[in-house]
Amino acid sequence: MTLSVWRFSHQLLALASSLFLLLASVTGIILAFEPLVEGSKPYSASFNEQTIGQTLEILEAQYPEILSLEVDRYNRVLLEGIDAEGASFRYYVDPESGKKLGEPEEKSALFRFTTNLHRSLFLKSVGRFFVGLFSFLMCLITITGFLLLLQRQGGWKKLYSKIPKEDKSSYYHVILGRWFILPILIVGATGVYLSLEKFSLLPPLALEHRLPEQIDETMDGTASYELELFKNTPLEELRKLSYPFSEFPEDYFEVALQDRELWLHQYTGEALSELSYPFTTLAQRWSMLLHTGQGSLLWAIVLLLVGISLVYFLYSGIRIWGVRTRKTKKSSVVVVPAEEADTILLVGSETGNTFAFAALLQKALLDLGKQTHVAELNSYQMYPKAEELIILTATYGEGEHTTNGRHFLKLLDEVSQQQTLNYSVVGFGSLQYPDFCAFAIDIDKKLAELPGFEENNPLFKINNQDFRAFETWAQGWSAKSGQVLKLEPLKKKKKKRRYIPFEVIEKSALNLDDTFTLKLRPQKKAKFTSGDLAGILAEDGNIRQYSIAKVAGDLVLSVKKHEHGLCSTLLSQLAPGDSLMINLQKNHEFHLPGFAQHVLLIGNGTGIAPYLGMLEQHHSDKEIHLLAGLRTKESYELYKPYLEAYPPQTLELAFSQEKEGQYVQDILQQKASWVAKGLENEMVIMICGSLKMQNGVLEVLENICQTELGVPLSDFENMEQIRMDCY
Amino acid sequence: MKRKITLFTGLFSLLLISSLLVSFNPGPTKVSYKCMIQLTNYNGHGAYVVVSLLDKDGKYVETLYVQGDDEEWYHDIPEWWSFYEKDQSDIDAITGATVGGGQRTIQVIQLPADKINAGYQLRFETAVEDQKYYADDLQFELTTENLKTKKEGKGYIRYVRMIPASS
Repeated sequence: MTLSVWRFSHQLLALASSLFLLLASVTGIILAFEPLVEGSKPYSASFNEQTIGQTLEILEAQYPEILSLEVDRYNRVLLEGIDAEGASFRYYVDPESGKKLGEPEEKSALFRFTTNLHRSLFLKSVGRFFVGLFSFLMCLITITGFLLLLQRQGGWKKLYSKIPKEDKSSYYHVILGRWFILPILIVGATGVYLSLEKFSLLPPLALEHRLPEQIDETMDGTASYELELFKNTPLEELRKLSYPFSEFPEDYFEVALQDRELWLHQYTGEALSELSYPFTTLAQRWSMLLHTGQGSLLWAIVLLLVGISLVYFLYSGIRIWGVRTRKTKKSSVVVVPAEEADTILLVGSETGNTFAFAALLQKALLDLGKQTHVAELNSYQMYPKAEELIILTATYGEGEHTTNGRHFLKLLDEVSQQQTLNYSVVGFGSLQYPDFCAFAIDIDKKLAELPGFEENNPLFKINNQDFRAFETWAQGWSAKSGQVLKLEPLKKKKKKRRYIPFEVIEKSALNLDDTFTLKLRPQKKAKFTSGDLAGILAEDGNIRQYSIAKVAGDLVLSVKKHEHGLCSTLLSQLAPGDSLMINLQKNHEFHLPGFAQHVLLIGNGTGIAPYLGMLEQHHSDKEIHLLAGLRTKESYELYKPYLEAYPPQTLELAFSQEKEGQYVQDILQQKASWVAKGLENEMVIMICGSLKMQNGVLEVLENICQTELGVPLSDFENMEQIRMDCY
Repeated sequence: MKRKITLFTGLFSLLLISSLLVSFNPGPTKVSYKCMIQLTNYNGHGAYVVVSLLDKDGKYVETLYVQGDDEEWYHDIPEWWSFYEKDQSDIDAITGATVGGGQRTIQVIQLPADKINAGYQLRFETAVEDQKYYADDLQFELTTENLKTKKEGKGYIRYVRMIPASS
């Protein structure tokens, strides 16, 4: 499978440095607590515009000899001096009162150990080199990740728009990626800078002061706090002040301010030397500050979150990578050479999901005796024995071709087959993107234009990798070819399904459409709501799922009996008093959202069932409209008792087999301006029933949005205003 | 790491014991000296500086001052470390931060009064990460006269000046 260069580098770099990054993140998380601990100690002071001079005056009055005064990033004032007994001392003092606040504590063993591990892996210079190198790699990983994100979201403007929900790992990988890109880049870059600095690869930091040859010999006893610079400089500007070593005039004050260093004559206050810090010093200081979070509670917390997010990135990244490799491998179980195959299955996949469907289809085709060759779209070539071409393709980002299919359209022009191929195109996509299945549409169009290709099955679009929809397509294929294509359901992790016994309370007679309703009562405690799915095990071991309603605590479902349907036949034979085992499955996607005040329910056939329960539950607190599609007026009788008990605000029925021959989408089109206004006012539209009806409804809705509102339907889709359960 | 822990607990218990001892035994009189160490303008990491008292034969007697508290690097000051590793006694002063090229540090050092003018030596030993180690960057006889003069080093130390602390 072809991967884009960015994805390939992103994965490779991350895998190569994963162990190191894990170590650095975990130690980083621990170290992020250091500024929090330090900042919580009661030694910090507020300076309130106090000058250095004022501070010195206060301190000199209380301490016999001062050696130096230091202000650190936590606004702590550290005083070093000699006490009356001639012993040296180091205290944190309050600059306003001069009082001792406490003595500096040694860095705790935990932080010291962790710092060493984080900085050099206990390998001194060698370790530091690797830490610097891996920090650099982390920057590259972040940048490639960002490029992937741009590609996926479809440009800068949409960077922060909603992300379609896929599997959990990649969803949160992307969400966190968006928020932490900048902080991670900062941590990585400052890490690199600090390592470079340690390796003396940058210009030296120390300033080279030089004393003038002549020094004024005045010894007039001017008090230090009277000196001009001290009188005019606020204490917060100070980093360190060292007192002259002796009282001789050749000894001077050393003053380090935020931006420069000065040597001051201790009596005249004249600057004997004054040098500004070069850019490298300031960069080093900022790097230190940004990398460690010293002095800033808020930034320390950000750093803590960066550490935690990095651990999650590693975890979810490895999961995504694992899933992708597994999916890609699945397809290559049976290899039929291109030259010998009668059926060609070409796959366009970005994340590997489509390959899983291709593998299922290949197996089903092989079972029918078809020599099926599976390949990527890009490997399109001459197929001397082929009769049929089936294309399964995803669409990447905003309607772009998948990476492994980017040459396909060109190849179609360049390679011409000797015989005519019957083709079918299946598009996989998400309705949450505006260009649903765009790549599949392009391919379908191209094939229709080219000579030598005959459409076998019309273009079929599948939302969110819905297996039921794929089965519907397979049924269409079977009808056309006269051979029954049997798809084995996607192998998901075998979860033990829990079955709950239900008793049949009521069963309606089959109506003209071979449809009936069942009312079932749980025999054990069961939690379910309207819109959930009821799984019923058929004789062949497959599970058939039905959308259900909850009416007065009972489970109601509507079933259409198919002639050869194992499950529907089983259900049609039930009688009141019989017991049925049901596996209940939550279906959040199709619950009536809590925020919805106005709801438009659209359904056809058995898809009306879940609405019966929603109406009962919310007839008093929500404004609910129902638009139902049925075959005949008689079909309505089945649902009538329920709808009369809890009538919707408005009820519109479309009968396809009566003389007006109406479908729900026709009525929807008539109500275009009402629908548009509703959508603008947060109306939620629920769609349940056949895929054909769903596609028709979505087309009308898209049209309404474009013409009435001038925005794509996906805008509302992203606001979770469109909810679907179709099959 | 094990060594570090033992060193740490060792130091701690020594500190405890010696503080107990001190309260019973006042020991020899000490004289406080203010000591300024000015470094040359070298490039690189901060310098580790150890000030030790040596006897007539050049044997270590006591550690007076250590600059740099990261024990990971102590064995890069080998001559002193071979003494200190075995005979770990209480050090009056250990400061955390090392001082880099061109900078100076002023510290108070406690000299035992009975060792002055008695043939003992004062040694300033220096080491910088990934750079040369100077066992005797500066070494001179501990005499009243020597303590008054500015002494120049030959490694990372440009000079050292000492004066009695003002009490």
